[in-house]
Amino acid sequence: MDVLGHLGSGFAAALTPTNLLMALLGSLLGTLVGVLPGLGPTAAIAILFPLTTVLQPVPAIIMLAGIYYGAMYGGSTTAILLNIPGEVASVPTCLDGYPMAQQGRGGVALGISAIGSFFAGTLGVVALTFFAPFLADQALRFGPPEYFGLMVLAFTVIASLSGGSLVKGFAMAFLGYFVSLIGLGPSTAEPRFTFGWAPLMSGVDLIALIVGLYAISEVFIGLEEARVAITQKIRKVFPRLADLRAAFPAILRGTGIGFVLGLLPGCAPGVTVFLAYDAEKKLSRHPERFGTGAIEGVASPESANNATSSAGFIPLLALGIPASAPLAVLLGGLLVYGLQPGPLLFQKNPDFVWTIIASLYVGNVILLILNLPLIGMWVWLTRIPYGILGPMILLLAFIGAYSVRNSMFDVGVSLVCGLGGFFLRRHQWPLAPLLLAFILGPLLEKYLIQSLSMSGGSPLIFFQRGISLALIVGAALLLLTSLALVRYASRRAKEETTEELAL
Amino acid sequence: MGGTLVLLGILSLWEGWRLYALRTQMVAGAVVGDDTFPSIVGAALLLLGAAILLVAKLPQVKVAPPYGEPRKRMILGAAILVAYWLILPYLGYTGSTALVSTGLFRAMGGYRWPGALLLGSATTGALYLLFRVWLLQPLPTGLLGL
Repeated sequence: MDVLGHLGSGFAAALTPTNLLMALLGSLLGTLVGVLPGLGPTAAIAILFPLTTVLQPVPAIIMLAGIYYGAMYGGSTTAILLNIPGEVASVPTCLDGYPMAQQGRGGVALGISAIGSFFAGTLGVVALTFFAPFLADQALRFGPPEYFGLMVLAFTVIASLSGGSLVKGFAMAFLGYFVSLIGLGPSTAEPRFTFGWAPLMSGVDLIALIVGLYAISEVFIGLEEARVAITQKIRKVFPRLADLRAAFPAILRGTGIGFVLGLLPGCAPGVTVFLAYDAEKKLSRHPERFGTGAIEGVASPESANNATSSAGFIPLLALGIPASAPLAVLLGGLLVYGLQPGPLLFQKNPDFVWTIIASLYVGNVILLILNLPLIGMWVWLTRIPYGILGPMILLLAFIGAYSVRNSMFDVGVSLVCGLGGFFLRRHQWPLAPLLLAFILGPLLEKYLIQSLSMSGGSPLIFFQRGISLALIVGAALLLLTSLALVRYASRRAKEETTEELAL
Repeated sequence: MGGTLVLLGILSLWEGWRLYALRTQMVAGAVVGDDTFPSIVGAALLLLGAAILLVAKLPQVKVAPPYGEPRKRMILGAAILVAYWLILPYLGYTGSTALVSTGLFRAMGGYRWPGALLLGSATTGALYLLFRVWLLQPLPTGLLGL
């Protein structure tokens, strides 16, 4: 069957009432949590992830993808209305979005953000439709050494997730690998790091780790910052024709920059948004307007953000490499449902993959239809006091950690991870490399052991086979590129916020 | 942090050594096994920890400890969560959630007891409907069967 035939059957599955409802519910819930002040997309997905575990894999992943898109949009809402970027990718949006909100044009900024996000997101999914199967066609050429090369390539993503300090990024990554080792060894099922304690034999649960690191620690960070609800009035929501005319070229440029760079496995939205914003400012005839409420200053980074996020699905689904922290959580979701992203996913589970791709189109449309009329409601949500939100997030996190394996041990793990996550975040140790390494650790170990067994213990096997050599050389090149881009983005984020922000 | 990484590195190397001894006894001729990755991770953690302690100049992050009302709320919130973890198997999900949610709204939100009780009851009811009635989650029922 060709790509369009696959996509057609994907749409037939995605448009069933249950799957459509899950996409709708996911988009709504994702926006609902993402819009809460201080909660970025990663925390939003971490909080809502456990809710999906009661579903079958396909509706669960559709809901998770909806949560992802919704949370991304929700993050932009707080950036524009409250000047609170949930994650560094929303910092450039604050620069012109918040002045627009202060001028009473917050609704227009949100409208442009929704339209730009829809355009960029849809274009990204179109490219995913045609590009990912090409990558996946190489699947049959992949043996353990090639997969090991892929895991090394995934390791380069750590550079862009390291928050500006590579040493900290690597330290957190190896900490993640260490945690992933707890449990039974893959070769002989011999217990490792269990110290004779039975609950540790089943290892650390991914959801307990995510919930603790991101959701529980987030609440305590919020308490420390003494977050409160902030009020903001919205007058007009729908952009005028003149606004659209001014924003459209910026949307196109932002989409282009975000998408092309997003194809690189090590390039996160936190990097591309600054490149897009700066490019727009340089190209503008009136650069002095930027920072005072220029609509292009919202359209360009928002489009770049969504284009990068959508493009990130290509390395995620076709290679199993997540480009950002929210995508790392999504990768965890796929693994929880027994699906191994990578070249073989398209061959082993074509129905699943094409349903997901079709649901991404549907999710983009749902967000556009929902968000413009519901902007007033999202604004109202930002007024919920933190004294109510914090306890509710903690209660959801608690039950979420319990519900996966019905284990109080997992709840204890999430509490410990919450405490650890709080400490690490306060001292600016990036959590995303830890999570990524925890997810990829067992795969890296498996392919390493298989490859070395094939070669009689010689590591030269990784350099003697074309694809694995290319992947390892590519990883080295990407690492250098990512380092340069991260340094640029860190400098820009510091200039704009006067503080260090984790990318 | 550097010291913690060094300690974890030593622990991982020690575990790798223990597993290596087991492999050489159990699996004849195997060149790699369950000990290989822990040894690599251990060596990397040890090197990174030593680098952080002795060589690397990490960006200085000045973090003031929380104080005043936020600190009180954080400590109380954390204590209530730990208490939740301890009492849940005995009181069951519904009873312990009602108690804990009321306590959290009181401690973290600063609501008076009647307000906290109202919010706690509403939240417990909503979570009960969502997880037990709608999602059919098997939650702990405790000694009282609630």
